[in-house]
Amino acid sequence: MTTPPTRPTPPVPGWPGAPEHRPVATPAAATAAPVPDGVVPAIQVEHVSRWYGNVVAVNDISFALGPGVTGLLGPNGAGKSTLLHMLSGLLAPSAGIVRIAGRVAFGDPSIYADIGLVPEREAVPGYLTGREFIRLNADLQHVADPTAATDRAIATVELSDAAGRPIRTYSKGMRQRIKLAAALVHDPPILLLDEPFNGMDPRQRLHMMGLLRTMAGEGRSILFSSHILEEVERLADAVLVVYAGRLAASGDFRSIRRLMTDRPHRFTIRSSDDRTLAAALLGHPAVFGAELTDGLLAVRTSDYGAFTRVVAPTAKAAGIRILELRPTDDSLESVFSYLVRR
Amino acid sequence: MTTESATGNIYDLGYQGYDGPRLGRPVVALGLLRHTLASAYGIGRGGRAKIAPFTLLILSLLPALLAVGISALAGQTGQGEVLTANSPIRHETYQSLTSTLIMLFCAAQAPELFGRDQRYGVLPLYFSRVLTRIDYALARTGGLFLAVLLVSIVPQLVLTIGAVLAAPDPLTGLGNDAPDIPRYVAVSLLSSGLLAGLAALIAAWTPRRAYATAAIIAAFIIPPIIVALLSRLAAGDAARALVLLSPGDVIEGLNAAIFGTIADGSPAVMAADLPDWSYVAASVVGVVACVLLVVRRYLRVTG
Amino acid sequence: MTVFGALITVTLRALLGRRRIVLMVVLAALPILVGLVIRLGGGRSDAGDILDALVIRTVLPLIALIIGTAAVGSEIEDGTVLFLLLKPIARWQIALAKVLVAAGLTAVLVVPPILITGLLVGGSGSESIALAFGYAVAAILGGSAYAVAFTVLGIVTSRALIVGLAYTLLWEGVLAGLLVGTRFLSIRQATLGIAAQLTGTDVGVDPLAPVVAIAIVAVVIVGGWSLGVIALRRFQVRAGD
Repeated sequence: MTTPPTRPTPPVPGWPGAPEHRPVATPAAATAAPVPDGVVPAIQVEHVSRWYGNVVAVNDISFALGPGVTGLLGPNGAGKSTLLHMLSGLLAPSAGIVRIAGRVAFGDPSIYADIGLVPEREAVPGYLTGREFIRLNADLQHVADPTAATDRAIATVELSDAAGRPIRTYSKGMRQRIKLAAALVHDPPILLLDEPFNGMDPRQRLHMMGLLRTMAGEGRSILFSSHILEEVERLADAVLVVYAGRLAASGDFRSIRRLMTDRPHRFTIRSSDDRTLAAALLGHPAVFGAELTDGLLAVRTSDYGAFTRVVAPTAKAAGIRILELRPTDDSLESVFSYLVRR
Repeated sequence: MTTESATGNIYDLGYQGYDGPRLGRPVVALGLLRHTLASAYGIGRGGRAKIAPFTLLILSLLPALLAVGISALAGQTGQGEVLTANSPIRHETYQSLTSTLIMLFCAAQAPELFGRDQRYGVLPLYFSRVLTRIDYALARTGGLFLAVLLVSIVPQLVLTIGAVLAAPDPLTGLGNDAPDIPRYVAVSLLSSGLLAGLAALIAAWTPRRAYATAAIIAAFIIPPIIVALLSRLAAGDAARALVLLSPGDVIEGLNAAIFGTIADGSPAVMAADLPDWSYVAASVVGVVACVLLVVRRYLRVTG
Repeated sequence: MTVFGALITVTLRALLGRRRIVLMVVLAALPILVGLVIRLGGGRSDAGDILDALVIRTVLPLIALIIGTAAVGSEIEDGTVLFLLLKPIARWQIALAKVLVAAGLTAVLVVPPILITGLLVGGSGSESIALAFGYAVAAILGGSAYAVAFTVLGIVTSRALIVGLAYTLLWEGVLAGLLVGTRFLSIRQATLGIAAQLTGTDVGVDPLAPVVAIAIVAVVIVGGWSLGVIALRRFQVRAGD
C-alpha cells in the first residue's frame, strides 16, 4: 500500500482540530495486504478529490488495495461515504481517477459484475420479500443459476427463516443483512461496505465479521468503513485513516505506530526490582522517562526498536528478573487519537 | 469539553437554566406565521427552494407590468385613456389571468409547509412547548394564506400604481381607480383564503409530497371541467348547485359578483345563473370549513 | 428471468403501490362517472366533448404525470434506484424498460375509460364506436409521449411533478392558446391533431396535420428516451448521502 507524500496541512475552515503533524512517509511501510508488482490492484485510487462548491469532501487521496480486509476509519464527516460512492461509480471524482480492476469506475456499468456494494442508507424496496429481492438482484446480475445463488446468499446471512416476509417487516439488522446478501449473490471479488455493522447486535456483528474474514481468505478484496475503532481493530488487516477528507495514514496500525517517531512509545514493565531497573534504563539515550506507579514501571522511549533490544540485557546486567513487558499505547485508539489530535 | 491530566481542568459548558422573562404564546405563534411565510418563498432555505415560488410570483406580475408599460407608452401618444378602458388586463379580469399560477403556487408550496414536519416526525418538538396544536395549525395555514395573497394582490397594486402614475395628476388617477381597490382587495382575500385553505387541508392530510401535489392540482383543475361538462350536457337544479363545489368556479363567480361583471371565463357559472351572494357565501363557508378541518387534523395527529 | 424481464417486473411492482393505484383508478374512472351522470340524467350526449376536454386535456396528462414521475423519480427519491444502477446493465436498457412500462401503464389506464365513456354517452352505433376508437388511438400515442417525457423529467430533476404540472397547465393550457406558433411544442396539440384526423371532430383552433402530429410524438418518444439514457449514464448520488 502506498502512503501519501508529506504535505503541510493548513487548518481547514470548518474543521477545527485539523492534524498539525504528519508521520514522515516511508516508502517501505509494511502492509498486510501488499499488492505485488505487475498485478492490477483490485481497487486503485489516484489523487482523487471531490468538492462541492467550496466544501472539500475528499482531498487528494491515493491508495491501492489487494485481497484482504481493509478498514476505512474516520470520524463522521471525514469523507468515508463520499469515497465509497466514488469507488462504486456512483459519484464522479472532481479530480483524479478511481479504478476498479483496472477499469475507470465512473460511467462503466461492467464493473458492477465485479463489485458488491452495501450502502449505508436503507435503500431497499419494502414491498418485496427478502427472497424476491435477492432473486431480483440475481436476475439483474445475470447469474448462471439464480435459484441456487439466491438460496446460497440468503443462507450465508442467516435469513432463511425470514426470507418469505416483506422487507418492510425486517428489523434494522435484518435489513443490513439482506443488503449484504444482495451484494453477495453474484459472488463478486470486491466488496465495499459502508458502515455495515450499524444496527447489528453483538452476535450478528461477530457473525458478519467472521463471514467477511472467511471471504477475504478466499482472495476477495474487502473494504469497509466505520467510525468505531474496536470494529476496525478486530476485523481489518490494514487500515486507511481519513480525517477531514485527507488520508492521514494507511497500513497495519502497528506499523503506523512505528512511524510516529516524534511521539514517545510507552511500555509497562513488572519486574523484581522496578526502581533499580528504572535507574538502569534511564542511563540509555533512547529512554527519556520512567515512572513508578501502582507497582508498575512505566517507561517512555523514543526508539521502539532500540528499546526492545536494550531492555533485556540491561535487566540481566542488573540482576533483575522481568515478569511482564507490555507496550501500552500500541492500540488503534492511541494511533487514531494521535492522528486526529483530539 | 477538555480534560488534561497534567493540569486537571474541566470546563462545564453544559445546559444552564434560564429564569428571565419569557415571550408568550402569541409571540411564538406569530413567529411561526412569519417563518411559514418566509418558507413559502424559500427564504432561509437555500437557492433552489426559491426558484418555484419566485418564478410564479414574477409570472403573475408580468401582465400587470406589461399593462402599465403599454399604457405609459400609449399615454405619450395621447391614447392612454382609450387603451386602459379596453385593455384585457384590468382589475376585474386579473383574477382569471393568474388563477392557474396561484394554483401551481399552492401545489408547489403547501406540501412543503405542511408535510415536512409530519414526515420527519418533529411535531412533538413543537407541541411540547407553549405553542398549542391549534396555534400551529392556524399559524401554518395563515402563513400559506399570506404567501398566496401576495401572488394575488401585488399585481393588482401594481395596476393601481400604474393608474395613479399614468394619470394627469396622482389624485385623479387614484380617484379613477379607487372604486376598484376595495373590490380587488375583497376578491383577493377571499380567493386566496379559499385556495390556500383547500391546499392546506389536502397537504395537512397527505404528508407525502408527491401525492399531496397531485391531489391539490387534481382538486383545483378537475372539478371545473366536470362541472362545465355537466352544465352543458345535463340539466336540473342539482347540476346548477354543483357549481358551488368547484373552487375555481366559485372564485370566478365571486369575482363577477363583486365587480359586477359577467363571469365569461367560466361557462358553468354562466349556465348556472346563481345569485351573487351565493358565491360569496360559498367562499366564506369554504374557507371556514377548510381551516376547521386543518385544525382537526393537527388536533388528532401524533408524532 | 431475463435481465430485461426483471427490469420490467420490478418497475411495474414499484409503480403499482396501493395508494398510487387508488389515485390513478379514481382519475381514470372520472370520465366514466361523468358519462354515467350525463346518460342517466338524460342530458345531451356529445361524447367528443367529454373525451376531448376531460380525458385528453386533463386526465391523460395527469395520469401520465403521476406514472412518469414515479417510474424513476420516486426511486431516486427513496434511494432504491441504486440497486438497479449497481448492476452491469447497459443504461439504455434500463431507460427503455422504464419508458416502456410508463407508456404501457398509461395506455392501459386510459384506453378502457375512453372506450367505456364513448359508448356510454354516444350509444353503440358504429359512428360512436369509431369516435371512441379514434380518441383511444390518439390517447395511446399522446399518452406515450407524455409518459416518456415525464419519466425523463423524473430522472433529471427532483421537482418533476411541479415542472410537469407547469408544462401541462401553463404551457399547454395557456400559452399554446395565446401564441399559435407554439402548437408544435405541445404534446396536447399533437394528440388532438391525431384525434381530429381519426374522428373528424372539431378540436378547436386549427389542429395540427396528422403527419406533423405523429412526427412530434415520435420525436418526443425517441428524443426523450435518448435524454434519459444520457441522464442515467451521468447519474450521481445527491450530496450528503
